[in-house]
Amino acid sequence: MIAALAVAPVVLITLLIGLRGVAAMRTTSDFLVASRRVSPLLNSAAVSGEYLSAASFLGVAGLVVKDGLGALWYPVGFTAGYIAMLALVAAPMRRSGALTVPDFAEARLASPPLRRLAAVAILVIGGLYLVPQFRTAGLVLSVVSGSQYWVGVVIAGVVVAVTLALGGMRAATYVQAFQFCLKLVLFIIPAIWLLLRVGPDVRQEAVNPTEFTHFGHDTAVTFRTAVTVDITTPTTVRDTAGGELTMPVGEFQIAAGSEYIFPEGAAVPGLKGQTPPGGAGWERPLIDVQGEGYPLLGTWAVLLATMLGTMGLPHVLMRFHTSPDGRAARRTAALTVVLLSAFYLFPGIYGVLGRVLVPQLYLTGATDTAVVALPSQVDDGAWGDAFTALLTAGAFASFLATSLGLLLVVSGAISHDLLAGGLRQLRVTVFLAAVAVVLLALPAARLDAGILVTWGFTVAASTFSPLLVLGIWWPRLTAAGAIAGVAVGLLATAGAIVMTLFGSPVHGWLAILVAQPAPWSVPLAFGTMVVVSLFGRPPPWTTTAMLRLHLREQPERDLGHSTFGLDRSSTVRRMVRRFVR
Amino acid sequence: MSVLPGQDPAARSWRPLKRGALATLGVAMRVAGDVAGGLSGPRVRAAVRGVRRLLEVDGTGLADLSGRLEWVGQTPSGVDVMSLVEDVLHSETKAGRLPTVALPLHARDELSGVLVVAGASRMGPVRDVADWISDALERNRLEAMADQAAQAELRALRAEISPHFVYNALTVIASLVRSDPDRSRELMLDFADYTRYSLARHGDYTTVADEFHAIETYLALQRAVLGDRLRVQIRVAPEVLAVAIPYLVLQPLVENAVRHGIEPRSRSGLVQVRGEAEGSDCVISIEDDGVGMDPAVAERVLAGHGRSDSVGLTNVDRRLRNVYGSWFGLVVETAPDAGTRVVVRVPMFQPGVMP
Repeated sequence: MIAALAVAPVVLITLLIGLRGVAAMRTTSDFLVASRRVSPLLNSAAVSGEYLSAASFLGVAGLVVKDGLGALWYPVGFTAGYIAMLALVAAPMRRSGALTVPDFAEARLASPPLRRLAAVAILVIGGLYLVPQFRTAGLVLSVVSGSQYWVGVVIAGVVVAVTLALGGMRAATYVQAFQFCLKLVLFIIPAIWLLLRVGPDVRQEAVNPTEFTHFGHDTAVTFRTAVTVDITTPTTVRDTAGGELTMPVGEFQIAAGSEYIFPEGAAVPGLKGQTPPGGAGWERPLIDVQGEGYPLLGTWAVLLATMLGTMGLPHVLMRFHTSPDGRAARRTAALTVVLLSAFYLFPGIYGVLGRVLVPQLYLTGATDTAVVALPSQVDDGAWGDAFTALLTAGAFASFLATSLGLLLVVSGAISHDLLAGGLRQLRVTVFLAAVAVVLLALPAARLDAGILVTWGFTVAASTFSPLLVLGIWWPRLTAAGAIAGVAVGLLATAGAIVMTLFGSPVHGWLAILVAQPAPWSVPLAFGTMVVVSLFGRPPPWTTTAMLRLHLREQPERDLGHSTFGLDRSSTVRRMVRRFVR
Repeated sequence: MSVLPGQDPAARSWRPLKRGALATLGVAMRVAGDVAGGLSGPRVRAAVRGVRRLLEVDGTGLADLSGRLEWVGQTPSGVDVMSLVEDVLHSETKAGRLPTVALPLHARDELSGVLVVAGASRMGPVRDVADWISDALERNRLEAMADQAAQAELRALRAEISPHFVYNALTVIASLVRSDPDRSRELMLDFADYTRYSLARHGDYTTVADEFHAIETYLALQRAVLGDRLRVQIRVAPEVLAVAIPYLVLQPLVENAVRHGIEPRSRSGLVQVRGEAEGSDCVISIEDDGVGMDPAVAERVLAGHGRSDSVGLTNVDRRLRNVYGSWFGLVVETAPDAGTRVVVRVPMFQPGVMP
């Protein structure tokens, strides 16, 4: 019920703005195109709207509950990426006129194999980014509607498909900007309400973390996936049918879909390789990757990946094309930092409150649902339901905005760069891509959204970041060098991810370098690109291409008209001047 | 020399002939390529060397119209080559006699150079080679002319402001000068903008924003001329404003919609221009609810067999295909009395297309 109430309006409004967004700009007489130029603020809202995914809305708070305050470095990296983008990529990329990295590769190096390789990298990045979106949306829907995880994922897939079919192909700036405002409001207001509502005890506890060892009250825990827990003292739990079950000391298998009520005062079962929320090191502001120690290395690995990866995210890069010129693109990036910073002040609040109020989520691996689970813990009346619905709507808006953009980019890469085809094929590809992502998301329930998304960033940092940075700033780059660098970066990161997911476990600093390969894969990709390029000869048009990337565009023609007098009388024109200035 | 792949022994019987013929063909092709820059171009020397190899003579030379001779091989004794060249340049006929002859090279019946051969034994092959070079020169001249024609066509399209429209616009403005000076001033500025954009010399590409701006000024003027008969709706999504498109692609289509859709009938009509992104394509449609036409007529117009005054549609279609490939031509949906809809679809990014 709550799910329907929360999801339906978001989808409806998204569709309405998508369909009417173009129509809303109709004028009959005093219309002036210049006034429709997207201002940097609007565009940065659109960038943020597309960028703030379910991983940001839910994942960061979930990671804080599970791993500790160090997880707040993730949003720092997500935001700081725009500073790297601002300084290195935004303006030249806009001047190149390219929409995507394959386009850029084509414009700068004119190499079809590089174009196809870049498209493959887009598929990998898009996959790593999309799967957690669908996974988290499914998880949240299943939590609020009390259904199975796979039902939630399928519902999310159906909603995306319907939205795309009914006009979501336009990926309009106004829709994304609106989504950002929606997310911001739906994230901030519940946070403030929660802070005011929880009372002084909880607030006190929130800032003085203690380890979660015993259940503070009778707690129902729903296991949506199978878990092996470690019991230290015999624990008697009730199941939903009223029967009692005593878990013996030792390892205990809990089947997927079972729900138990742990009585007040019962000892919390342990999970292999994880410390419960609030345990030792929880409040340390560094990231402990997989609990292997070396927190400084882990933190730097995550920061490097997220900072350099942002510039390679295909759906974000596309947004900068909407800026009228390179200067506006740079301003857009700068304003995006501000807008994202405002948003990222709040996951921490949900995180620390979640540790106090819903620590049991860590047992089920569903800490990503902490944000949505909070209101009902604070208020079991109508207000709690209302805020749960609001947060679900926000989470779903995040999921929808990012998934639509990414699905379009991914299917664009398939139908445009890998196969030749027109729009008809694009429509088919979009749906096939959505189905593929739903299928991939089904077995991914236990993988944290924040981790998967960071892997997406890592791949981007090891492939597109060297390609863009060297392509823009180093005239000697050759097509062979770029291909070698991207291929090495892609293979290195993909190999590390496969090792982490399916390989035999390793320990110590090696484990960190396998789970977060950015510290070695990024320099490796850069190095390969430079060394291979030095053996070759840059293409003869390099100077022309570089000049186009770095010289300022001509002054805007329609405004430079001598006849476009600044003293023209109509209001619209006065507004234009303000817009454009 | 040409490279033959494979060393199949069965092929040995015919190879010598083929090799010789292919080699000759290869040299001839290279000569044709080398004179592509003209007879005073940078690769004339290579061409002369090729000619000498073709004719297997002691020495050959090519001279351009200024009489500057590029010579390869032995200079013939007892003959003043330079005076032969001068003779040919003045008489435009063959000069000298075997073994040293000079032949004029004509391209499109115009003298464009001189071929001099020393040590030739027969006249036939020398004439053939002279004809071959003349043909190559002529082809280059034709290609250049085709380019010029395309450029001129584009320029002609730019300059194609209907005199009728200019007259009407200026009359309307004049009639408003006393009663509504502000409006007439606005219109005057619109007119200036319009002519500036249509006539000014720009690059080959512009942005959708500039093109829409031109449409606006045009439609503002037409609305002044046609009054209530013309209603206009322009909708454009901000994503596509920065997309680069060929210069003056949309404006002729809008002019068509007004001139052939709305003007011929007495009732009022609506012209809608929409621009939006679809995936990685930019789709712009120009729609009028005017008289429309028979689809067969539209097909003929697009194929270039329409009336001479509707050259705009064909031109736009050809330029779009030229720039973006054959997939991206115009799409015209029309029927008699059902209005006309012209759809332009271009990729948002195409290498080489920059405003």
